[in-house]
Amino acid sequence: MDILTVKDLSVDLGEFSLRKVSFGVPEGSYCCLLGASGAGKSILLETIMGGFSPKHGKVFLRGEDVTNLPPEKRKLGIVYQDYMLFPHLDVFNNIAFGLKEKSLKKTEIHESVLDISKNLHIDGLLHRNISTLSGGEQQRVALARALITKPEILLMDEAFSALDLSSREKMRQLVRSTVRDLGITVLHVTHDSEDVWALADKVAVIHDGALLQSGTPDEVFQCPKPGYVAGLVGARNILAGTITESDHICNSTIKCKGEYFYSAGSKYMEKDQEILFSVRPEDIMVAREPMAVSSRNQMEMNIEGVEKRGPLVWLSGRKGELELHAVVTASSYEELELDINTNVVFIFKARAVQILEQDTSGIPMKAGIPDYVT
Amino acid sequence: MSNRIFRAALGGVTVLFSGLLIWSILSLVFMPERSEIVESAFSEEMIYSVKLSLLTSFLSVFIVMILAIAIGYVLARFHFPGHHLLRTIVDLPMAFPELVLGLCLLLLLGHGPLGDFLKGMGINVVFSKFAIVVAQVFTAAPYAIRVVYGTFRGISPRYELVARSLGCSHMKAFFRVSVPMARGGLFAAAVIAFARCMGCFGTVLILAGGTRMYTETLPITLYLNISYGNLAMAMTSGIILITISLGAIIVFELLNREVVL
Repeated sequence: MDILTVKDLSVDLGEFSLRKVSFGVPEGSYCCLLGASGAGKSILLETIMGGFSPKHGKVFLRGEDVTNLPPEKRKLGIVYQDYMLFPHLDVFNNIAFGLKEKSLKKTEIHESVLDISKNLHIDGLLHRNISTLSGGEQQRVALARALITKPEILLMDEAFSALDLSSREKMRQLVRSTVRDLGITVLHVTHDSEDVWALADKVAVIHDGALLQSGTPDEVFQCPKPGYVAGLVGARNILAGTITESDHICNSTIKCKGEYFYSAGSKYMEKDQEILFSVRPEDIMVAREPMAVSSRNQMEMNIEGVEKRGPLVWLSGRKGELELHAVVTASSYEELELDINTNVVFIFKARAVQILEQDTSGIPMKAGIPDYVT
Repeated sequence: MSNRIFRAALGGVTVLFSGLLIWSILSLVFMPERSEIVESAFSEEMIYSVKLSLLTSFLSVFIVMILAIAIGYVLARFHFPGHHLLRTIVDLPMAFPELVLGLCLLLLLGHGPLGDFLKGMGINVVFSKFAIVVAQVFTAAPYAIRVVYGTFRGISPRYELVARSLGCSHMKAFFRVSVPMARGGLFAAAVIAFARCMGCFGTVLILAGGTRMYTETLPITLYLNISYGNLAMAMTSGIILITISLGAIIVFELLNREVVL
């Protein structure tokens, strides 16, 4: 059951507007709203929070319409990228802020603050001034302040973006374990797909004030909608082809630039249908020679581009007009003695060939490839 | 070579103007006889004038700050049709000559409908001590509103949203979060308002009248005594005003570093 339902939500802020956004957040889940800067993620979050009044549409919490309730009546917690800790209060009083509103006894407040501080490893900071804390410490204080009031849903706005890589990784683990232990539902807006992979049960992609696609991270990343979503999730190898054979159990053969791709279990297709399909680079195995393996797709390619990115190496392989990208580890790259102009074989399973779109009309193409493909 | 001439010209203008300004202030302090100044400072008229100036200024600052906090917050937080117009209207008295502002208030509170209404209730504003407060409030409020507006604009409204997510009403979030966070700017606004109230002359002269030992604030003392040719009294009131203004500017500069105007 969805604890939060957003239905046809439109917000008009003059220079920016949200357009008929609808989605649901299942109880106990960790949902991410993925989008680039300026997509409208924060406005959506703050409208759910009650900071903006929608022009149209409704927000439901446990089935109850809360669209016109003030923020203090919604039982939602919020954590921002830049923490928004109250600078005139020390750590203890920041965390205790919400409890003081509930007129609890001093001893109860003290115990609750101590409990949550221990869970988030900030019990040694309670009497420190906010300005003396590191970014990671401030973020944990902000999290403690939001969680201590036991909100129905925790809203997180780019909560890890201001942290360095190692603090970000630690915060992801801490947040995941803490919200699981407390059974709190999370709606987290982010531009970082690593947040989605590390944390999300469900993801929705937002762009220019509109929701484009939602589903599990696997669904969205494996089968991104052509256009903006594909670009945002870094999809490569999105190709246009024609179905030459198809059977009733969704096995298809696709002809693309003189080569045949075998696809299994994706979608039922009619013969001669024009389609878009993708092969994720990480699903491609790179070998120096053809191999006797169960993977049905084996293509001899010539490496014409190499891009080293830390522990990974991106390869661009070409056969005639067909260009495919694959990714290998740096050690595999060394062991296989790969380089530009090396002849290799790209091997991938039929299940790795995902049919994305059955109607390619209206999609701008450049040399047979959608022009948003990176 | 042309760069050096350019820099020398800029430096020259700066030094010349600053020098003249300092010279004019020092001439006020050093020209009169010290014994005359001391005698004037403890005269009955000066003591009355200082007392009245301080009393009315503190009362005016209190009223100004209530107005400035309310209006500054509305301008900083709420977007509504006529927002820019309201900002311009609130700023208007800064552009007005004080005498014109005084005349406007005299027409409003003297024989205008509001004046008649107040008279009907037994309140006579014009040419009274109460008129000093009214004149000071209208003169100083725009400056305070500007500082308070800048202060609230510099505080993200997200702090209040966080406070409200933790159970505060809008009013509680304002008093528990926004006001304490703005305290530096609010104090700076109070200081600048106090300096403006103490130095308010034209508006007070027109609305309250420059009656000796009745509506006589420090600037009025200076004006009356210069008219009578009593230079020592005029200079003493000038020195007191400059000392108060200088103190206010120093405090304002110290507090106002983080305020975005």
